[in-house]
Amino acid sequence: MLKIQNLTKVYEDGTVALKDVSFEVPDGEFVAVIGLSGSGKSTLLRCINRLIEPTSGQIWWNGIELSEVSGEELRRARRQIGMIFQHFNLVNRSSVLTNVLSGRLGYTNPLASILGRFPEADIKRAHASLARVGIDDKADNRADELSGGQRQRVGIARALMQEPKMILADEPVASLDPALAHSIMRHLQQINKEDKITVLCSLHFLDLVQQYSTRAIALNQGKLVFDGTPKEINDEKFIEIYGREAERIG
Amino acid sequence: MKDEKKNGRFPQYYKTGVIILALFLLYAYGLQVTKVNLEEPLEPQRQENLVSLIRSFARPDIFAYETETRRTAVSLRMPCPETIRGSQVSIEGRQLLMVPNCATTTQDPITITGSGFLPNAEILVAWTPLGSTSTRRLADFKASDTGDVSITFTMPDIRPSEEPQAIELVEVVDRNIVGLSDTTYEALDKIVETVLMALMASTIGTLLSIPLSFIAARNLMQNVKAPMTGIMSGIILLPVLGGGAFWIGQQLVRPILSLDGTFLPALQTSLEALGFVGNFIFVLIELAFLLLPLTLGGLGAFVATSIGSRFGQQVTMRAPATTVRILTFVTTLVGTAVLFILLALALVWVNVLGIREFVPEGGWAQLGLFLWPGLVLGLIAALLTLRAPAKHHYPIGLVIYNATRTIFNAVRSIEPLMMGFVFVVWVGLGPFAGIMALTLHSMADLGKLFSEEVENIDEGPVEAITATGANQLQRIVYAVVPQVTPSYIAYIFYRWDINVRMSTIIGFVGGGGIGFVLQRNINQILYTRASVMVIAIAIVVIVLDNISARVRSRII
Repeated sequence: MLKIQNLTKVYEDGTVALKDVSFEVPDGEFVAVIGLSGSGKSTLLRCINRLIEPTSGQIWWNGIELSEVSGEELRRARRQIGMIFQHFNLVNRSSVLTNVLSGRLGYTNPLASILGRFPEADIKRAHASLARVGIDDKADNRADELSGGQRQRVGIARALMQEPKMILADEPVASLDPALAHSIMRHLQQINKEDKITVLCSLHFLDLVQQYSTRAIALNQGKLVFDGTPKEINDEKFIEIYGREAERIG
Repeated sequence: MKDEKKNGRFPQYYKTGVIILALFLLYAYGLQVTKVNLEEPLEPQRQENLVSLIRSFARPDIFAYETETRRTAVSLRMPCPETIRGSQVSIEGRQLLMVPNCATTTQDPITITGSGFLPNAEILVAWTPLGSTSTRRLADFKASDTGDVSITFTMPDIRPSEEPQAIELVEVVDRNIVGLSDTTYEALDKIVETVLMALMASTIGTLLSIPLSFIAARNLMQNVKAPMTGIMSGIILLPVLGGGAFWIGQQLVRPILSLDGTFLPALQTSLEALGFVGNFIFVLIELAFLLLPLTLGGLGAFVATSIGSRFGQQVTMRAPATTVRILTFVTTLVGTAVLFILLALALVWVNVLGIREFVPEGGWAQLGLFLWPGLVLGLIAALLTLRAPAKHHYPIGLVIYNATRTIFNAVRSIEPLMMGFVFVVWVGLGPFAGIMALTLHSMADLGKLFSEEVENIDEGPVEAITATGANQLQRIVYAVVPQVTPSYIAYIFYRWDINVRMSTIIGFVGGGGIGFVLQRNINQILYTRASVMVIAIAIVVIVLDNISARVRSRII
């Protein structure tokens, strides 16, 4: 269970990215986070694993107050929360296998990992994760030799290495063409259903929201303006979320 | 509207005019200050000097020659008899007339004229004193286009004898290259020394600068924050653990390094069998022993700061706010005092502004002197912590970042020449001093360049690795290092290139390498030899430049 209470983020330049946002996510849900660019979706996701420090408010997750922990405890919490990025954020000059293994850094002996040593079990797990997203044959390629869709699959494999209980996906398909987008979304859906991993996924296209998510929350200028099932997003709600000038497609 | 525009444009012209006038005055003053004098370079004597300098440099002493010579002898008497006359000689078509044919003092001018020599032949006037085997050089000159000769000289000393003595005109008939000159061999020897000096300085400088570059990168340090309890308990533990470990290290190596010890000499003898490789191993072992106290001290400091920060974190996380407040207050008071005392003792040791005159002798007395001011300062700092929230995290990372940056910039701004001078005072003349100077400068210079490289990386992978629960060190190794490796390697070569050029200069203050010989040759007006050194440096720099360009293009 993820519980967010009165979450507010004000950046140093005065931009209010999140304003008093509260909502709850029961375990196992696939939550789509929607809203215009700059509405605070990325900030919300990054506040949850504290890549961005919230200004005020609480984030509770399975009995841990995520907004309060620091140091070792924060790292322990983070390793159970996988993250997938719009621009994949792979280390281009490293091999695919190394990129995937790096998902394991929160678990391994720090000294051994710095020397590049991973336990045999982790290497097996890395190959299994790659096989799961269908690119085990690329394990020894350099990450920048892969296509966009393949790179995002490496990103998913890296997140899987964390044995996550929750996955935060920040616009995972915004840099991909529509055909690939569905393939990536299906992988996320499969992970959500088979492994019972909660997924929070920010999305731009409403058809993807309708097709894959079990629930949607919407942000507009940092405020929560919608919380319900995707089907509840009617034309009226749509204007509330995206503003009057937006046009509904898909 | 139009009028406004007109009015608006006038000051613009005015401004430009003022700027031009100001620049004019600046350059006029600059000319006076820099003593630009256009007449001096036009003086005939100076022009002649320049021409002879250029000609010497254009004739580098690269090869060793074997010359084929032809001798024409004429006899000379010392001292002069009652009647003074000239001597005349005619051999194989060469005529010589020497007037006078005798010398009584070293001031008497003697003139030789003649004809029938090879046109433009190089001729040496030589004298072999009676009973001596070595020949003395009296004068050098060249025959004219038509083979005529004319030279006036004096005798360097007078060796009276009954017999006439031979003055020989040694004429160069032919000249063959038989190999490389001694100068060339010396240049080769020294340029190898220079390149290796530069290599060692670059390598050690790089090794030291890599870890420092991460500390000096803003993007890695700005999120490093710690509660004051952690920072201060680290500072309190620092002298105890760091200093303690250093002292233990000193006690450990003292018996080994002491002059009457047997371990090192025995090791050296047994390694001598391996030649220069053995010597290298010996130096490495010796260095390890020398650096042991420092290494242990650094390790102690590391342990101190990690215990401190761990303690601070645990306390801040678990203890109630009041306890945290009290602990913060106490540790800040003591920590600030400790920091102040350490700094004050360091300043006294360096004798900044002659401070030693005003403080008592001996560490304990000085400690007593600084204790109270330190505690007062600590109290002020502790009171200031009360203004922040109890569990406030302070940006210690930015403090370390700024300190490291400042040190880098300060060290970088000191010319390696100056550092070379300091190290020559410390470790004596020779390449070792040069290596140390270049290492220090390379470390600061590369540290700054490297850290800027770290600041320019793609933050995406860092974010991704952070999200996996990795710690700072893992983040650096997995997200930062792969991104900066190519440019680091490129910089290392670039620095090697710079170090080769700098080590030629460092030789001027006695730091070894080819610069040492170059300066000696220039001082002794041996320009044809200096020319060889200059050529050697140029070749090495060009070659290195090429190699580094190639390596860079291949890695990136």
